[in-house]
Amino acid sequence: MSRFISRKDTLAWLGRLGQNRRLVAPTKVDNLLLFRQIRQADDIVLELDNTDLSPKDWFFPATETLFSVERKDGRVELIPAEVERETVIFGIRPCDARGLAILGMPYLAEPADALYRQHRDKTSLVGLACLTACPECFCTSMGSGPHDPSSLDIMLTEVEDGYVVAVLTKKGESLLPEDLLSTVDVAAPPPPSPSLVPSEGIVDKMRQAFDSPYWSQVADRCIHCNICAYVCPTCYCFDIRDYTNSARIERVRSWESCQSPAFTRIAAGHDPRNTKGARMRQRFAHKLLYFPDIFGPLHCVGCGRCVRSCPVNIDIREIIQDVQRMGALK
Amino acid sequence: MNLTEEIRRKAREWLESKVTDCVIGYERATDGVTARPLFAYGVEEADRLIFDQTCHHNLARYVLNRKGKVTAIVVKPCDSRAINLLLNENQIQRDNVLIIGVVCPGIVETGWRRVGEKLQNACQMCQQHTPVLYDFLVGGPPAPEPMVPDPYLDVAEMEGRSAAERRAFWEWQFSRCIRCYACRQVCPGCYCAECFVDRLDPLWVGIRIAPGENEMWNTGRAFHLAARCIGCYQCEQVCPVHIPLSLLNRKLEKETRQTFRFQAGMSAEAPPPFSTFQKEERLGIGE
Repeated sequence: MSRFISRKDTLAWLGRLGQNRRLVAPTKVDNLLLFRQIRQADDIVLELDNTDLSPKDWFFPATETLFSVERKDGRVELIPAEVERETVIFGIRPCDARGLAILGMPYLAEPADALYRQHRDKTSLVGLACLTACPECFCTSMGSGPHDPSSLDIMLTEVEDGYVVAVLTKKGESLLPEDLLSTVDVAAPPPPSPSLVPSEGIVDKMRQAFDSPYWSQVADRCIHCNICAYVCPTCYCFDIRDYTNSARIERVRSWESCQSPAFTRIAAGHDPRNTKGARMRQRFAHKLLYFPDIFGPLHCVGCGRCVRSCPVNIDIREIIQDVQRMGALK
Repeated sequence: MNLTEEIRRKAREWLESKVTDCVIGYERATDGVTARPLFAYGVEEADRLIFDQTCHHNLARYVLNRKGKVTAIVVKPCDSRAINLLLNENQIQRDNVLIIGVVCPGIVETGWRRVGEKLQNACQMCQQHTPVLYDFLVGGPPAPEPMVPDPYLDVAEMEGRSAAERRAFWEWQFSRCIRCYACRQVCPGCYCAECFVDRLDPLWVGIRIAPGENEMWNTGRAFHLAARCIGCYQCEQVCPVHIPLSLLNRKLEKETRQTFRFQAGMSAEAPPPFSTFQKEERLGIGE
């Protein structure tokens, strides 16, 4: 027996969710599928593989003001940024929800990033289980899976005429009124099998591959744009800058990426990571060596976005295979 | 002999005779159907080279990563104009590039795991099917170039809109920009040692990924490419949020063609209009 919500009731529920919260869900923006605030439930697109950009923007916005400083009555006042509204993200895929668990490791480790914590605390996640696996997904090789409920508050699995519902947290209970649910004799379909990537033991292999000429060979074709980092649900690097005028200072954080040629340039123009190969190695060593060394899991959820979006086909699946095949370097 | 075989044979010949240690061309991507750039340093790698209608990348920019070394490169006609641009602007020496030119069959619209049947926009309006310079030509003798009656139809359509409509259009387009700089990184004309948006001290353009800065970035870049864009559409093609950047570039191309009778990349010798000044130039300023 399963808890069930009909398609019709789901629409009614979405209407209610949007009344006192921001409702965010996949929607068409020109030809893109993005997580955006929803005005009417009809705009939500749920027949999707996944969105073009990850939902991380709702927790780690492309640009946000961290705090501002204002002069008032001869005094200088620091005004921290506040996340005011509750948000519910509807239709998030399990890989992206896991992306938030990973993003939270650096951002919520003490001392926690105050603004990230507010975004995370004030947001609930209603997930949508994957019934098919895209050919470039590899979530099961990255410690997740098409029906992985972790990080979610509610998981929906599509069945005929509606969804099988799993309410997973207290937050989830508060989102979904019991009167919309019924108990039916329908089982959720089994998860699909995404393709496999040989991730087992990759951390040690990456350590051995540190000095390999492989990185500069792969970097040959890399154009060093920031697409991979910006579509990634787990990449978390940023730049900070103060915007000032005579009355006010605003400290602003914006996305940045280790692939950007200016990212590591420091005072007097020195750049400790000044070759294409060094930047390429940084991206994959951060994902497959440094992050697991510090936090445990690999810094990738296997969503496949970077694979799909890279203009020159730098493919993390191929890189993992190549590194696994490398002999130990002396 | 097909294009792939012709390119492989020449690449092998050049690598074996050591006139170059690197041939930049295309190989099959990991989706199994589209193409990606390949740097072939040896004969085995040369045997991975391909050419077909999915080879959309303009590889010319990669030559800048090998300054001072002899580099062989596969170019389509539009890409060959990028080589001319770089020669024209003294970024590379002619002796350091060995050019395999392809008489271009036109490139089809592609995406990850997807090969369309329709030619790309750029190819539909293309008036240059034979590279403007090459050392070795593949794909058969140069054919007469086609006449496209009005290659600026889309620009004219935009010019027909009111200023307010145009502003609204571009504000909407730039609102999606995530400032990933893929447009810049892929562009053969965007080779500044320090881009104006990377200038940190003093900060010329703020780091916000937000409407004002996004507009500054995209229009600033377009103006830097006036009379320099060679029309390869790479910027538009790589844009992950589908901003029609070529429309801006082509507007400026149309203007600079009319004003200076100059089209970037057609010759390595013609002086670029914004690097020269003639006393008798009358640009209508103040008239």
